Amino acid sequence: MTSAREIHRDAARLWRLSLAGGAPDAARIRQITDQLIGSPHYRRLAVLAEYVRRLRRDAADRTATVDSATLLDAPARAAVEAGLARRYGRTMATTFRIDPDLIGGVRLVAASDLLDDSVAGRLTALERPFDWAQGRSA
Amino acid sequence: MTTLVQEIEARLAGAKAESAWQSIGVIREIGDGVARVEGLHDVMLNEMLDLGHGVTGIALSLEESDVGVIILGDHTKLLEGAEVHGTGRLLQVPVGKGLLGRVVNTLGEPLDGKGPIASDTAYPVEKLAPGIMRRRPISQPVQTGIMAIDAMIPIGRGQRELIIGDRSTGKTTICVDTIISQARLNAAAEAAGDTAYRPLYCIYVAIGQKQSTIAQIISVLEESGAMPYTIVLAAPAADSAASQYLAPFAGAAMGEWFMEHGCDALIVYDDLSKHAVAYRQVSLVMKRPSGREAYPGDVFYLHSRLLERAARVGEKHGNGSLTALPVIETQAGDVSAYIPTNVISITDGQIYLESDLFYQGTRPAISVGLSVSRVGSAAQMKAMKQVAGRLKGELAQFRELAAFSQFGSELDAATQAKIDRGKRILELFNQPQHDPMPVEIQVALLWAVQHGYLDLVPVPRVKEYQTRFVDHLTASCAELLKHIVTQASLDEALTAELTKAAESFNAVWA
Repeated sequence: MTSAREIHRDAARLWRLSLAGGAPDAARIRQITDQLIGSPHYRRLAVLAEYVRRLRRDAADRTATVDSATLLDAPARAAVEAGLARRYGRTMATTFRIDPDLIGGVRLVAASDLLDDSVAGRLTALERPFDWAQGRSA
Repeated sequence: MTTLVQEIEARLAGAKAESAWQSIGVIREIGDGVARVEGLHDVMLNEMLDLGHGVTGIALSLEESDVGVIILGDHTKLLEGAEVHGTGRLLQVPVGKGLLGRVVNTLGEPLDGKGPIASDTAYPVEKLAPGIMRRRPISQPVQTGIMAIDAMIPIGRGQRELIIGDRSTGKTTICVDTIISQARLNAAAEAAGDTAYRPLYCIYVAIGQKQSTIAQIISVLEESGAMPYTIVLAAPAADSAASQYLAPFAGAAMGEWFMEHGCDALIVYDDLSKHAVAYRQVSLVMKRPSGREAYPGDVFYLHSRLLERAARVGEKHGNGSLTALPVIETQAGDVSAYIPTNVISITDGQIYLESDLFYQGTRPAISVGLSVSRVGSAAQMKAMKQVAGRLKGELAQFRELAAFSQFGSELDAATQAKIDRGKRILELFNQPQHDPMPVEIQVALLWAVQHGYLDLVPVPRVKEYQTRFVDHLTASCAELLKHIVTQASLDEALTAELTKAAESFNAVWA
């Protein structure tokens, strides 16, 4: 019987081996994945699943999504990308999208952080205390 | 109106529209009322989380890669991949006198359809218990109105007294009767304009009980006029395990408000066995390691930190008290099971109810030998101490002699007298439910039985004697009863008055 803790421990060890200079290295990741798949060990698939979860989470930590009501021009995009690189100390894979529901402003999700400077976001923030109060009177 | 407009304009002018980075999370797994959320790097333990769709969650387990969240509300609305926002607030519930007379859920939201709760203060559900220096010794009594308890197992304000017994032995009835007794005393003091009397407000926390049972208790409290002094916090069996786990802590927060604002409160946790089961369920779905009987390792701490919040605090710290009456249901009278022994060791005594006594017709079915109050005697009224001081020992002697006399041997006159006296005392202790007895009546009755005024009354007629003697006292000796309460001890003059009252009654009793 393998405990979840052992699986987490092994996946964390493999994940540390995948890093080169603090960033995941594609060649090492492929090598580790190949070796895991080819391994006869009975818990290899559980460890691989946890390893992939860490890989996915790391990729999410290096990704940013910027939603805006209207299309941002090139200088604005460059300023956003530079600001994100400064904040996180690395280049973030940034996706720009248009979302008319925001009414105005931008909504930026990077790693597990949110900067909601949109009109819709501010309206929602205003609504929240009222929702709370209404919940009390239900 | 102009002032109001100006006030709003001034606040608008001062308001700044700023956006700030906030940490968010994403739901990765969801099920069994529990979600695992990735992200939320700056979340606090027990922080309230906004899961969207008006559903609130509590961050209960902070781990290396994710956060374990218990969901309070309808988890069927939530989807994997949905955003989760921190609120920066610990779980808190509304507190204050605005909750009196209301039925609320674990979050303090009304369930009785009587409109919003009139409260502008909220207390965190999890709070550290008052420390040593904030506490005062227990010296004021809680008059339960149940003669067997007030005489032999007295409870003080700020005490934790466990009520333990098998199913259907009258545990809840004792709690409800105590609440009714407080309501009567509070109402009487209000009507008399007695400002020296400290009202005792009650909080009844129903954990994992049937909705029908809770509805019945509420109706009893309403019929007896106890609701205006009572808060009912309901986390019925239909609620999620998370809700049931948090309910007693929410009730304790409501009680602490009274304690910190110069008032006295009494909280009933009905019952902590179901609470432990709810916590076990939450812990197992959170994949925490399980121990004895599959309870998590911190189940003792769960109850100790809850019950330690009951205290009597000093004048600098609120000058109030919170008395706790936790209830534990045993299986086949086994008090040595895991949860009962835990709670017995935490509390300041226990009232043990026995199934055998219950079915023999003793109500309340209190086992005198196994019940104890470790601190309450210091709070007992002196007059009660004078008449009930030797009662416990005498009853223990009676039980031993009664067992011996079953062999049918001849008994000497002294032994027979002891047995007869014991039978009469036990008969006096039989009390109908939801009919608490004022302390002055209890003192008068116990004084009468201790001084042999009931010795000639046949045991089957003791209740009849009691009823008529109480009528006699209330009708023609009202001053005497008032003196017992005001003087709080039986001096020579009061004893003479009691003698006169008992003799005059015995002269007409047939």
